[in-house]
Amino acid sequence: MLDEPLRILIAALICWFNFVTIDLIFKLPERGGVSGATAIAQEVEKGGGNLNGGYMMGNIVSSPDASAGTLLASCGVYCAGLPGGLFAALLVYIGNRICYDPGYAGTTGCITATLIVYGAVQSGWFAASDFIAGMVIAILTIQGLSSVHASRLIARLWKIRCRLLRGCT
Amino acid sequence: MEDQVPVVAGVHMIAIYVCAVIAVYAALRVIIERNTMRKLPFLNVVSFAITGIIALLLPHPLTILAAAAFFVGSTFESNAIASTWSGGMKRNG
Repeated sequence: MLDEPLRILIAALICWFNFVTIDLIFKLPERGGVSGATAIAQEVEKGGGNLNGGYMMGNIVSSPDASAGTLLASCGVYCAGLPGGLFAALLVYIGNRICYDPGYAGTTGCITATLIVYGAVQSGWFAASDFIAGMVIAILTIQGLSSVHASRLIARLWKIRCRLLRGCT
Repeated sequence: MEDQVPVVAGVHMIAIYVCAVIAVYAALRVIIERNTMRKLPFLNVVSFAITGIIALLLPHPLTILAAAAFFVGSTFESNAIASTWSGGMKRNG
């Protein structure tokens, strides 16, 4: 096993790619799911950011999405192994419905994250706790550093996703 | 499954410190940011960090229920604040 700080950084990268990929596939940057998410996006745009990136940030705030799924899957695997991660997926599904979110980004992200985290723990290279701290670092880079730069980065990835998978308006 | 659960909390202290430092940093950003809507993403980071700390400090199968309940609850609160601030729910019909 590597040193814990290095493992946490690698886990942060894995978590980042997992939740950003799932969120982009499920079109979170396309529009605000609820009026609050749209309002956050407009404020981000007013502050010099990008509207599509703002939509994704607003959607992450307003409902448990793939990032929440990744965090709760890591917590589930840390506390109770594979069944814990799958139970977390059920809780994220319920959380989505509580927050008026009709999408499946959170549940899907939670299931993929459960498989990734469980696989990484089984391989012996990582501990599940690395992924909990890693996901907190990953969400910090999107939501916690600069809304302007994060929204522009998401918008750039959103354009790439639209070119590759189509289906965007 | 039993052998994966650490017996003593504190085995992964660096992970807990990382979460705690990020929670305090994000809380400071919430205080410094003047715009209410732009406070919410920072508040979201605080929720993530605290959920992580809850799970790391209490390695017990039921912890996942507590962590998820806290996280979904705080997300729902942010959702309510943002929707109210933007003029109420517009998709009820």
